[in-house]
Amino acid sequence: MNPVSTTVRLHRHLAMGTEFLLYLEPAEMSETDERTLVQAVFAEVDRVESIFSRFRPASEISRLNRMAAQGPVVTDPEVFQMLSVARSLWQLTGGAFDVAMGRLSRAWGFAQKSPHMPDKEELVSARAASGMAQVVLDPEWRTVSFNTPGVELDLGAFAKGYAVDCALHLLTAQGVPGLINAGNSSLAASGEPFESGWPIEVCSPQLPSVPAQTLSRVLLHTNSMGSSGIMEQKLEQGGQTFSHLFDPRTLGAEPGEQVRTAQVLQASVLAPTAALADALSTALFVLGPVEGAAVLVSFPAMAALWVLAEEGQIRSIEHNWPTSCA
Amino acid sequence: MTKSDRELEVPASAATEILPDQPEVSNSNLGRREFLGLAAAGLGAAALGLEACKSPQSISANDWVNVGVIGVGSRAQHMMQMLLRVPGVRITALCDVHPPRLDEGRKVTRQATPGYSDYRRMLEDKNVDAVMVSTPVGLHAEHVIASLEAGRAVYGEKSMGRTLADCNNIRAAARRTGKLLQIGLQYHYAPWYTKALEQIRKGNIGQVTQINSYWHRNNNWRRPVPKGASAELEHLLNWRLYKEHSGGLFAELGSHQISFANMIYGAMPESVMASGGIDFWKDGREIEDNVHAIMRYPQGQTLAASFITTNRLEGAQERIYGTGGSIELTHTDATYFAEPWFPGSALPPEIQMQHKIVTGPTYSAEQPYHGSGKMPIKGSASDADLACVAAWVDCIRTRKRPVANEDIGWSQGVTVAMCNRAMKTGVKLTLNDFLNCSNPEEV
Repeated sequence: MNPVSTTVRLHRHLAMGTEFLLYLEPAEMSETDERTLVQAVFAEVDRVESIFSRFRPASEISRLNRMAAQGPVVTDPEVFQMLSVARSLWQLTGGAFDVAMGRLSRAWGFAQKSPHMPDKEELVSARAASGMAQVVLDPEWRTVSFNTPGVELDLGAFAKGYAVDCALHLLTAQGVPGLINAGNSSLAASGEPFESGWPIEVCSPQLPSVPAQTLSRVLLHTNSMGSSGIMEQKLEQGGQTFSHLFDPRTLGAEPGEQVRTAQVLQASVLAPTAALADALSTALFVLGPVEGAAVLVSFPAMAALWVLAEEGQIRSIEHNWPTSCA
Repeated sequence: MTKSDRELEVPASAATEILPDQPEVSNSNLGRREFLGLAAAGLGAAALGLEACKSPQSISANDWVNVGVIGVGSRAQHMMQMLLRVPGVRITALCDVHPPRLDEGRKVTRQATPGYSDYRRMLEDKNVDAVMVSTPVGLHAEHVIASLEAGRAVYGEKSMGRTLADCNNIRAAARRTGKLLQIGLQYHYAPWYTKALEQIRKGNIGQVTQINSYWHRNNNWRRPVPKGASAELEHLLNWRLYKEHSGGLFAELGSHQISFANMIYGAMPESVMASGGIDFWKDGREIEDNVHAIMRYPQGQTLAASFITTNRLEGAQERIYGTGGSIELTHTDATYFAEPWFPGSALPPEIQMQHKIVTGPTYSAEQPYHGSGKMPIKGSASDADLACVAAWVDCIRTRKRPVANEDIGWSQGVTVAMCNRAMKTGVKLTLNDFLNCSNPEEV
């Protein structure tokens, strides 16, 4: 992603374990107004992180993770709506998108950024406490409860995409063209600074045998893009590669079978919001292009692009994906 | 690990523990008289059982609390979100003179919550049991007093009031009506703060002689305004920057730390010297972008407070220095630092014995202490704002007296107003002179 324009200004902010980049085209703004808007945008990102971070003990997600196994816990409408949407996506993706995989992610060390092979006992207990089927949402009382102790909600990229959406709303409300890029995996644009949109390149991951290559070039204007890939975090052990993304439908049987091997390298999604783009890219990475295309029937407004490695070569498969721009 | 160290390890479930009783307070004449209310205040009341916040199904119909909100800005929206995590709470009315704020408030409730532009009409709404006042500081007195007189339980955001007269009037209204008033001093409800206070009162850091408090930010403290907004609307949305309604950095940032220092010392400062200026953000604002105060307490103790908007190295923290140890408090945690013994130090003998006598490289008293004995004070796995509003709801239901009651709020509000007066006049101001001044309605 490299918007080239002398009028575009870049602002940076560390949050949610990554870097948020804000590209602004503040042609008609005073320096004070621009500074104030940038502060507000990043404050909104911080607000979302303070609610949904599973690493902060005072966050609402941490409170739910601590208490919801003891009985129904009332939460606020924003959090309840996020969890309700997550549940709907879980159902619509046949379980491929699941925000209750925190316990399994921690057992593998991905949550702590120190991947390791869990022992069998740890894996059994982690699997028993993983999956949206263990989470009960009661809209009448706005409560969350877990069927079993040890469940850990982890909204991960879904919350990151939501933070991008919330922050972008401030730009839209001010009528300021801008683009927010959270760690290169969540992007959302407001306005059309170059008359046609913000140019975004989808690249293949860098592999030892194959250099990175540009697979597609699209323009974002009021839409969002999310990408999930094996290259973010992985564990290589015993000649196998394990991704930080699990297949929630199987939860795995044995180490070596339970996480996806590195055939699908990346999935990118174009969607109306960054939260949806991020949720779907995670699910489509897990599902792969065949099952993924079937799931996308429920999401006609979305487009997908998978990057695959086959016999040392890179190839891409598209679904509703726009024609590459120049 | 020493005995005193071990005692600082408290369970993470501290939020459910009973808060300690308030010890005897200072022997300052005026400070003591004015502080008796504080001493008797509800520190002995049960802290809320946040970890026990569960299903609302067990709450009887009569125990549902319907809250109306006056002033629906960013702080109110955050606190509404906290309120909606408390079982048995509904937000049933919103009031703001700026219509877009009502829509923003409805985004929080996710409902078509009734909206008012006139708070007096909202107070006629029978579907409002309790009121949260989160308007500009200069309007607190009008809105809090009207809400109390309308028979409602009130949560009033800090600072209690902008002027001495505001604070006096609000406290008098709370006493006159007998209605519940809790001031939004949420760190009085933070478990790590209450545990730190408990350790201080046990004497685990010896005699507290000095508190340094910082709330250092690096931003222009402005809020975005719509394109083409009038100066009037800009003033309304950025009210914190203009004298008409703002209490400045002492009120907006300093209230919590100043109130906590009053709590630790068990008194209000008997004198204040203060300074500040508009030295960097020269953008038309009327409120200082950096303020500093030195407050002297009746027993020869000091609070040195600094609130700035051009550097964030220190962040928001207060350091409590005792002759036998130190405690650092932030918005998320508390840390205890042992004070190493060396010949001639002020370390109390009983703490010397707890620490034992150790040998090591020559200790220089002038260097910051980086050795062993640094320990977290646990209990930070809670949100102070949530604890604070949950305690308010609990007090409404049980008729308990809040921890941050009208007396705690009065001492905080008056101290802040005193800092602003001292900064304005540039002279050392005593509490006696301030309380008896001829212009209490002025900043």
